[in-house]
Amino acid sequence: MPVSLTPNAITAIHDGDVNLKPLLQVLEIKMIGRSQERSQERYRFLISDGVSAQHAMVAVQLNDRVKSGQFEKGSIVQLIDYICSDVKGRKLIVVLNMETIVQQSETIGNPTIFGETDTEAQKTFSGTGNIPPPNRVVFNEPMVQHSVNRAPPRGVNIQNQANNTPSFRPSVQPSYQPPASYRNHGPIMKNEAPARVIPIAALNPYQGRWAIKARVTAKGDIRRYNNAKGDGKVFSFDLLDYDGGEIRVTCFNALVDRFYDVTEVGKVYLISKGSLKPAQKNFNHLKNEWEIFLESTSTVELCPDEDGSIPKQQFSFRPISDIENAENNTILDVIGVVTSVNPSVPILRKNGMETHRRILNLKDESGKAVEVTLWGEFCNRDGRQLEEMVDSAFHPVLAIKAGKVSDFSGKSVGTISSTQLFINPDFPEAHKLRTWFDYGGKDTASFSISRDTMPGGVSRNEIRKNVSQIKEEGLGRSDKPDWITVKATISFIKTDSFCYTACPLMIGDKQCNKKVTRSGTNRWLCDRCNQESDECDYRYLLQVQIQDHTGLTWITAFQETGEEIMGCPAKKLYAMKYELEKEEEFAEIVRDRLFHQYMLKLKIKEESYGDEQRVKMTVVKVDKVNYTSESKYMLDLLVR
Amino acid sequence: MDTSSPSAFVNGALLRRFIGQKVRTVIQVTGSEIGSVVGKSTDDLQIVVRGSSPPSPLTTYLEVIGIAESDNAIRAETWTNFGNTFDTQNYNELCKLANGEFKHLFI
Repeated sequence: MPVSLTPNAITAIHDGDVNLKPLLQVLEIKMIGRSQERSQERYRFLISDGVSAQHAMVAVQLNDRVKSGQFEKGSIVQLIDYICSDVKGRKLIVVLNMETIVQQSETIGNPTIFGETDTEAQKTFSGTGNIPPPNRVVFNEPMVQHSVNRAPPRGVNIQNQANNTPSFRPSVQPSYQPPASYRNHGPIMKNEAPARVIPIAALNPYQGRWAIKARVTAKGDIRRYNNAKGDGKVFSFDLLDYDGGEIRVTCFNALVDRFYDVTEVGKVYLISKGSLKPAQKNFNHLKNEWEIFLESTSTVELCPDEDGSIPKQQFSFRPISDIENAENNTILDVIGVVTSVNPSVPILRKNGMETHRRILNLKDESGKAVEVTLWGEFCNRDGRQLEEMVDSAFHPVLAIKAGKVSDFSGKSVGTISSTQLFINPDFPEAHKLRTWFDYGGKDTASFSISRDTMPGGVSRNEIRKNVSQIKEEGLGRSDKPDWITVKATISFIKTDSFCYTACPLMIGDKQCNKKVTRSGTNRWLCDRCNQESDECDYRYLLQVQIQDHTGLTWITAFQETGEEIMGCPAKKLYAMKYELEKEEEFAEIVRDRLFHQYMLKLKIKEESYGDEQRVKMTVVKVDKVNYTSESKYMLDLLVR
Repeated sequence: MDTSSPSAFVNGALLRRFIGQKVRTVIQVTGSEIGSVVGKSTDDLQIVVRGSSPPSPLTTYLEVIGIAESDNAIRAETWTNFGNTFDTQNYNELCKLANGEFKHLFI
């Protein structure tokens, strides 16, 4: 039986039919160069229904199949998932999925480029001064001349069709599919109908109007930032749709107020309008090259009548043995049984903020175990729950969505802000693991792909140096600051100026703390806040000389570390010296703080002041020496 | 510093090398009678310390300086309470190093 192309398919697609699943012939395959900002190549097909031919963009997920020669010039294909969107008054077909029905065939019929007679459209197109980007689909190309052979190919078995299209489902919910309320009447073509729901996978920056229906799978906290443009806030959430397409949505400032409370994890929303920008791959691990930025015209509407057809969460679990070979910073999903949970410990982050860390061990059927590091809130919320379970001799199953692989010591998995943890989840994978663990897995030895902590209780990301090494090794000269720990004794504290007048006003939930200057009588002016206040705060800006057995150096301590070193708040010392004028008492306090030994964590960075390069050393953490662990550390140095 | 009468750092196993000489060690107290204290050395051996006037009350850890009488007994001259937290592992390593690789640094 000869294959016949679906008649009038091109016209039907243009009129918005996405359920036709037509048979079409590929007349031309063209690689469209790399688009401007993305290094992603795309393919453009010329597809024909025997009468009309039209260019169609092929979704990038089909690139591999194009490259492997599954589709070639002459192939007869069945379009399975596709959309036709409206780009600046022109129709653009995007093929999301298709199957080859006949690998090779002579050109069927005598197709002409669709819309060739539409002179109106041609005029608007050629008349504009805007030259479309080269990768944009150009419709009104000269008619393609193809050799015409009306003889249908012989020996084709149409029954292949069933085998070649193993599974497909309608990609678009037909319920939300208003007909386009426009025809090519004149030069102005605007579709006033509500945008049609399309799969997330079909989103691209060249569509003006779109809507997606998707479930919120994760929602970030509101983050505040302060950059050259001023203060701002931002939050983002992740979406998953019926077809398994995922994308991140981000919004800023006023839009945060509008959408933060509206969005709820687990609920389904109709989202329309917004701009698509390339995804920031270092923050965004979703399988999508784009990210949606909501705008003031965007809408996010709850779908109260959703029927559960959109999955709650999409996992692609990797066995722990796979993580061993995963690259650093890879984001992946993992599931395993928790075998141990360490207590939560406070950790100083590089930006000087304190956070919490908790390490637990996970094993699975691959015979390997891995360390999982929980950070921040995860330590308390989920970490405590896990700890209590393990303490009561129950080993829970833990599924980690979007954990980050670290290769710092062996391989381990850490949480990031978009990570989600599921304790004893109701997934088939979890039940399988439970059974494995309870019937033998518990007692099998698993080889850990993470290295144990260093001896002596020294935190393994601590780099120990002595004072002379700072200069000898030129620390702080590279692009990034060096973070080191020295064990040193304070030998001198500068007291002529030890604190500064700080702005007490609140910016968001933080105190401003910028230096204020006296304005008029006892009023303080802050340049940053552009406001005056009656009082100012006094914060440490302390110059301290430290010394160990190799040499001495100067370091700077700010408020928290300064208070640690001085043993009392800057305000109190200021009052004592300048207001109460108790010079003797002040000197006594300072003297008393000398010759104590500390573990000092330093941030070292070379900075330029005018022409001068100066290595700036700031103490970010002051700890008393723990003699037990310090002895262990030194013993370890001796025997090494 | 008084160097006229040095005392060697010892654990339970090293005691036998200093019989008749002055030693110092730290034990974890396990029991006490009048005129003697029984304890566990940092390498987990039992040591009996005799001598007048041990401190009262005793803390968990006790340093004694005195003459080694046998491979498990010391006649104490000085008793010092070392409190209830003490890292015996570090002390044990110190004893080994002070009588081994770094003997020349100790008198």
